Amino acid sequence: MTRILSLTLFLWCTLLVQGQEYDVVIKGGQVIDPKNNLNELLDVAVKDGKVAAVAANIPVSNATTVIQAQGLYVTPGLIDMHTHVFQGTDVDSYLANGLGSLPPDGFTFRAGVTTVVDAGTSGWRNFRQFKHQTIDQAQTRVLAFISIVGAGMYGRLEAQNLNDMDPVLTAFMIDLYSEHIVGVKKHHYRGDNFTPVERAVEAGNMAGVPVMVDFGEHDPMLSIKTLFLEKLRPGDIFTHTYSYTNNRETVVDENNQVKPFIFQAQKRGIIFDVGHGGGSFIWHQVVPSIKQGFLPDVISTDLHFWSMNAGMKDMTNLLSKFLNLGMTMEQVIGRSTWEPAQVIQRPQLGHLSPGAEADIAVFRLHEGDFGFMDARGRMMKGTQKLETELTLRAGKVVWDLNGLSVPAWDTEPLKY
Amino acid sequence: MFELLKYSLILVWCFLSPPMWAQQYDLLIKGGTVVDPKNNIFEPLDVAILEGKIQEVSSQIDPQTARQVLDARGLLVSPGLIDVHTHVFVGGREGIFAGGFYSVSPDDFSFRTGITTMVDAGTSGWRSFPEFKTKVIDASQTRILAFLNIAGAGMIGKPGEEELSDMEIEATLNIIKQYPQTIVGAKIGHYTGESWEPFDKALDVARQAKKPLFLECHLPQLPLDQLLDKMRPGDIFTHTYGAVDDRLWLLDANGQVLPSVQDAREKGIYFDVGHGGGSFHFKLAQPAVQQNFYPHSMGTDLHRFSMNAGMKNMLNIMSKFLNMGMDLPAVIEAATWNPARMILREDLGHLSIGAEADVALIRVRSGEFGFVDAGGYKLTGDKLLQSELTIKGGKIMWDLNGLAAKPFKN
Repeated sequence: MTRILSLTLFLWCTLLVQGQEYDVVIKGGQVIDPKNNLNELLDVAVKDGKVAAVAANIPVSNATTVIQAQGLYVTPGLIDMHTHVFQGTDVDSYLANGLGSLPPDGFTFRAGVTTVVDAGTSGWRNFRQFKHQTIDQAQTRVLAFISIVGAGMYGRLEAQNLNDMDPVLTAFMIDLYSEHIVGVKKHHYRGDNFTPVERAVEAGNMAGVPVMVDFGEHDPMLSIKTLFLEKLRPGDIFTHTYSYTNNRETVVDENNQVKPFIFQAQKRGIIFDVGHGGGSFIWHQVVPSIKQGFLPDVISTDLHFWSMNAGMKDMTNLLSKFLNLGMTMEQVIGRSTWEPAQVIQRPQLGHLSPGAEADIAVFRLHEGDFGFMDARGRMMKGTQKLETELTLRAGKVVWDLNGLSVPAWDTEPLKY
Repeated sequence: MFELLKYSLILVWCFLSPPMWAQQYDLLIKGGTVVDPKNNIFEPLDVAILEGKIQEVSSQIDPQTARQVLDARGLLVSPGLIDVHTHVFVGGREGIFAGGFYSVSPDDFSFRTGITTMVDAGTSGWRSFPEFKTKVIDASQTRILAFLNIAGAGMIGKPGEEELSDMEIEATLNIIKQYPQTIVGAKIGHYTGESWEPFDKALDVARQAKKPLFLECHLPQLPLDQLLDKMRPGDIFTHTYGAVDDRLWLLDANGQVLPSVQDAREKGIYFDVGHGGGSFHFKLAQPAVQQNFYPHSMGTDLHRFSMNAGMKNMLNIMSKFLNMGMDLPAVIEAATWNPARMILREDLGHLSIGAEADVALIRVRSGEFGFVDAGGYKLTGDKLLQSELTIKGGKIMWDLNGLAAKPFKN
């Protein structure tokens, strides 16, 4: 009797396991997965938080949740490589533990983003606070460049202090938290020298990570040609590519031509990052660049208090700008998934290979009459705009704009 | 000498006259459909703004009179929206709302949803309000008002939040007196005990301060009908359509709105949506609105656990009611003039001449949309409200499609 019972139980369990072959199946969407060279109508199956299969006609009879994605794009969850998310309430601070940084979860999933990389808001002195305060609390995966300045991005005063730029301690901190820290950031230095860049590269060499450079404000202005061809290493990142402000050399010259050494630098392996922000995306720089074939390597927002409600808005708005400038969906998605994953040395992210963490975004591409603003408030008309329908983080639905993953209300058993 | 005087006068005239020549208005919103329930307006009109105030609302205002003109054709022009139920006392504390991670930053969610005023629903109490004021209220661009929790430390969770000895009438009243413009009422929320003391104290504070009581009904031991009976006209009941487990639902076994709830409404108690992460269910909302039990206000109960769930934002909630059959001006009223009256801030929530120029330009999108409730069920609908442009105090704070921007010329 016991044996029969056991057998029955065993069979029942087996059935149960079979009954849940997949947790989620996303049916019939246009899958764009640049790492795997996919751009076709396919189904995506998720099991235990991982991508289980990407194939045509995955049977749905054994799936717990089926999402009909006909007419939609299905991509790896986006990686926003330039954000400021070390939020806090130190009212004297600019970004580090300050009100200028934003809690990530309110901006990520609704824009298809599943991973953000904080761009040096913390330094070795306050990274642990950042980890406790943001990284450990967020649902979004939060990675970080740490500033070469120990105090992080506390203020422009602190950013001038060469005595607080310690490559050894910076490299130590990266080693201690190598799971979260992906590189070193240099920013907002006003001196007439490359010292902070050199220190950042020194730390980068010690820790084996790339350096991200926000190269403005030097007085007098310093040459970006020297920066690209002599100071940075292949794989290092130049952010705010399309800025146009004082003391910042531009990539496009006064005759609207991309400077020849820019192509040379890109070929050398310098990574050009958008870092839109509140002041670093100017149509006069962007439009000639794209027309002349100088495309950004990574598309990122530079999300913070002063960009969120301005021309930047969010990642889908930013990707839409590049679509309207003629870049393909594949190009745009590649530059916000697999490209940044490689740049930050996280090859496990940014793709839909079976076994990968199931970070997935589902987008609708709207046709219509849209306007897109740059950081100076100039507007360009466009006909395409992305909207995030659904986002999965580690297999869990974390954003569902129109309820694609849930049943109709009148199917709920009515019991009052 | 006369010549000199003449030239001096000409010179003075030259200096003085440009302001007289200059345009009469800073900003003109032209061609939209103005929906201003307080003033019974729902028709195509132009709105002119000067020095941060509404200066004129009429048809065919000459565009030459304004420095900047917004083409609002096809859009609704509404007073800036008021969200009467939020949790925005954000800060570094783990696992709680008061100065913690469970709250969210107001500016992250306001302007992009047409909101210019948020009312915090008692995340702070008399002890923590000063911190809330300096760290969030004063540092935000959104206008933040607040109900003050009867629990002194505010929403710090059990057991602190339920500590009877920390519920002090005098101390709470003192803080309300110090910030009479910002604090709009008293709140009683989370209390699992059997004592009526917290509720009575909160009500006492509200009575003495001559302000409303905001009842967030996580009070499982206190019977609904008794709560409603004790509440006064003008007090606010939230989580109206929630199939919550810590109080009676508002419908009886046959799906009829409870008589005690109908009585309370007739008495003048306000019912707020307070959607949140767990307090709005179509299985209650649908039968309720079919019995004309519409909400007075569209409070979101914005916090970390509602922002990415079925709630999303206030326009999404308003769209739910629009698709459930509530008419458009009524939906707008429940997000502007109604909440303004509920919090006794009649200076807000309308476009009367002289009012602060808080304006929301809203597009009614047509299409196929889905709306999710807190139970994970959806309603499909064909209308969705979307925030195109938001103005606070005459200043543009959100501009989705660059309506106010100059075009880029290559």
